[in-house]
Amino acid sequence: MSNEITVKVNGKSVTEHVEGRDLLAHFLRDKLHLTGTHIGCDTSSCGACTILVDGQSVKSCTMLAVQADGCEVTTIEGLAGNGSLHPLQEGFNEMHGLQCGFCTPGMIMTATDLLKSNPNPTETEIREALEGNICRCTGYHNIVKSIQHAAEKMNA
Amino acid sequence: MTSNPTKKKNKKSFNIDAPLHVSGKTQYLDDMPELAGTLFAKACYAKVAHGYIKDIDTTAALALPGVVKIISHFDIPGENEIGGIIQDEPLLAEVEVHFIGMPILIVLAKDEITAHKAVDLIQVDIQEKEIITDPIVAFEKNELLSQPLHFQSGNTADAFEKCKYVYEGKAESGGQEHVYLEPQGAYAIPNGDGSLKIYSSTQGPTAVQRTVAKVLGVSMNQVEVDVNRIGGGFGGKEDQASAWASIVAVGSYLTKKPVKYILERGEDLQMTGKRHPYKNTYKIGLDAEYKIQAFEADFYQNGGAATDLSPAVLQRTLFHATNSYFVPNVNTHAYSCRTNLPPNTAFRGFGGPQGMFVMETAIHHAARALGVSPTVIQEKNLLFEGAEFCYGQIAKECEAQNTWKEAARKYDLARMQKEVDDYNLKNSYSKKGLAIMPICFGISFTNTQMNNARALVHVYQDGSVGISTGAVEMGQGVSSKMIQVAALCFGIDTEQVKLETTNTTRVANTSPTAASATADLNGKALQDACDQIQKRFYELARQTWSLSEDAAIQLTQNSIVAGDNKMSWNEIVSLAFQKRINLSAKGHYSTPIIHFDTKTSKGHPFAYHVYGTAITTCTVDCIRGNYEFDAVKIVHDFGSSMNRAVDLGQIEGGLAQGIGWMTMEELIYNEKGQLKSGNLANYKIPDIYSVPKEVEIHYLDTKGADLAILKSKAVGEPPLMYGIGAYFSIFNAILAFNPKAKLPYEAPMTVEKVLMGLYQ
Repeated sequence: MSNEITVKVNGKSVTEHVEGRDLLAHFLRDKLHLTGTHIGCDTSSCGACTILVDGQSVKSCTMLAVQADGCEVTTIEGLAGNGSLHPLQEGFNEMHGLQCGFCTPGMIMTATDLLKSNPNPTETEIREALEGNICRCTGYHNIVKSIQHAAEKMNA
Repeated sequence: MTSNPTKKKNKKSFNIDAPLHVSGKTQYLDDMPELAGTLFAKACYAKVAHGYIKDIDTTAALALPGVVKIISHFDIPGENEIGGIIQDEPLLAEVEVHFIGMPILIVLAKDEITAHKAVDLIQVDIQEKEIITDPIVAFEKNELLSQPLHFQSGNTADAFEKCKYVYEGKAESGGQEHVYLEPQGAYAIPNGDGSLKIYSSTQGPTAVQRTVAKVLGVSMNQVEVDVNRIGGGFGGKEDQASAWASIVAVGSYLTKKPVKYILERGEDLQMTGKRHPYKNTYKIGLDAEYKIQAFEADFYQNGGAATDLSPAVLQRTLFHATNSYFVPNVNTHAYSCRTNLPPNTAFRGFGGPQGMFVMETAIHHAARALGVSPTVIQEKNLLFEGAEFCYGQIAKECEAQNTWKEAARKYDLARMQKEVDDYNLKNSYSKKGLAIMPICFGISFTNTQMNNARALVHVYQDGSVGISTGAVEMGQGVSSKMIQVAALCFGIDTEQVKLETTNTTRVANTSPTAASATADLNGKALQDACDQIQKRFYELARQTWSLSEDAAIQLTQNSIVAGDNKMSWNEIVSLAFQKRINLSAKGHYSTPIIHFDTKTSKGHPFAYHVYGTAITTCTVDCIRGNYEFDAVKIVHDFGSSMNRAVDLGQIEGGLAQGIGWMTMEELIYNEKGQLKSGNLANYKIPDIYSVPKEVEIHYLDTKGADLAILKSKAVGEPPLMYGIGAYFSIFNAILAFNPKAKLPYEAPMTVEKVLMGLYQ
């Protein structure tokens, strides 16, 4: 069954036909070619596909595209403003919070939600926020530092 | 985490890929725009671990709209064979299936969902045969994948007779799933003339090229393999990327269309091999001074259903069976056992960790029996300068004792142990444990002929530089290191240098990105290419400025300088171009010195060794069996690190992966060979809570090995083995609660095992 949905993605309104079964992750990647949202596990275990839906972090493989009808979606591609990186993007860049990079967009989007609701998170709060995102390369320490770096910058 | 502030800071700390990664612009295989008409492949694989194929019915699948073709082994144009070391692995099953996940048919469809549905509609009737999942059972039935291996030095029989203390036991280590976050995959595009271009998520572009050529029955020059980057590999995409590339290649060859296959995570877990599980026996003998005089061990490797890289992995187990210790009398045997599991394969450490675990077990066993701390035995037996390994190589620039001493001094080992002991006196149901893990890891492919590399360098007429090597970027930062090497050779900014994709038509006959040796081999080949161009520029400068033969000329700070003469980099490039001087060069490097005789198991197989020492402390909840790691404090021999950020990242990440292997990552196959931990919800890799709360890494100041690129020692695999300390720290905490714990030496140390250990 085909449905028409209208979603505001990274500030731009798009209207597309989707199948009822289409996941939001596939809609973003296949229809809109926003390939910064990665699919790592197919079972909502890894968090690589995390995006913001109406400002809240969501694993985009846990949501159907039709459920996003009328919503505002932000992906990693929409995070930077006017050519400058978001402080979180700067943080992961500066503090080496990445290696292969596959989990990075999901980590950053999860952290974006965290810092919006909690601009001064403790290390424990950062770890709690990231418990649904896995990284096989780094050991996580630099990821925590990247978020602390961003929080400091945003509060400065 | 700290680094040593006394070290010079002139070396860069950067990751060329980071800006792309953080903005979501990085292009992994599945992010490439698809060409119109692309077909999607999917494998129909065996659901029985061993059996005879009685019947296959594809009628319903073929009737599904959108299904283009179903390919069986009869359709393969060349050889139905993808085995690397030994030719024993069909791409598609013919008469029998040998493991659950073995591909039988390939479906090609117009979209992925149709391919998925079609695979579900295929009926395969298999008559089950005897299924073996245990390596000991396979060994007893003489089901071996390759010749047994044997390392020997001295005479253990005589030595044991003289030993005051002799202990024998068993040790087991489990497998490990790679969980590269980017699943396996490949995309084949026909060129129209019968040749193909294949984009592959592989660590081994040449292995893919060679395998595809064989499967298609064409020569290697008809197959171009291109790798932009991969989203993690860890060894899992070394030999095991070839199957998916061969599948899309066959599909594309037969249909003349582009064909793509990205594995779903579930498929990837079911169909691909993992770190080899091992079962082992050991015998260790010590003299009155606790010096290890003799060590014997038998290693039974669970190789899976086909050889893959198992013999090479097995050999490295023997190279590292005495870890960081000098043992004068060694006698080890190793067997690669054929079972009905997916063919097990390379995984960071490549059999080394499995060997070291047995030695550490033997020492722990001896220490328990003697009523001393394992650290006493460990420290007394550390390798020293000039010590001979059981395979004949002499330890040079040996940092085993230095890293141990520096760790004990810097982190105040006595105080750490006292804190653990004090805590354990005060707490009845929560116990802490401390363990030290020294490591010694040999750098080079143990197959000597693989230790070579090539690079291609173009200086463009505008002064920009393009470099190609055989190295694959998989998160380990080799791209950054290659760019640093070229920039340093030319004395230009790193921004001037672009690293091209790894491509078999630009750089041929590559060794896989593996064995921690990639930056060394490819970096030195790159230096060779850059040096050739540098020499041409020097000669040009000599002529232009009428300098003598021995005049000092330098490429530095974006200029060429000789005394008072100076030209900018762009000027010398432009001048060279006008003078019709070759601005391109091809470099080559093969590691000198190394050799190894497989008949005698003696030689000098490694360019150098990497050393380090880690102190791990943990806290065990003695009611629930849960544990957490308080700290891991490391002194590591980096040589002279060329990129601190990249190298520290390798230590932290390797450590986390090693801890995962030793503690929480439990790969479970049932007696039917069915993977029971077949998704990331029930196969748990370390999450952000599982890693140590504190990781401290200290540089040992060493001059670095000449055979390491810019004296910056290889860093990919060695830190994984620090994770073995996590196992023994938990073991020691359990012993603090229950000194008589009857806990077998079996890794991983899951929470369930801890709980049993606490109360048995």
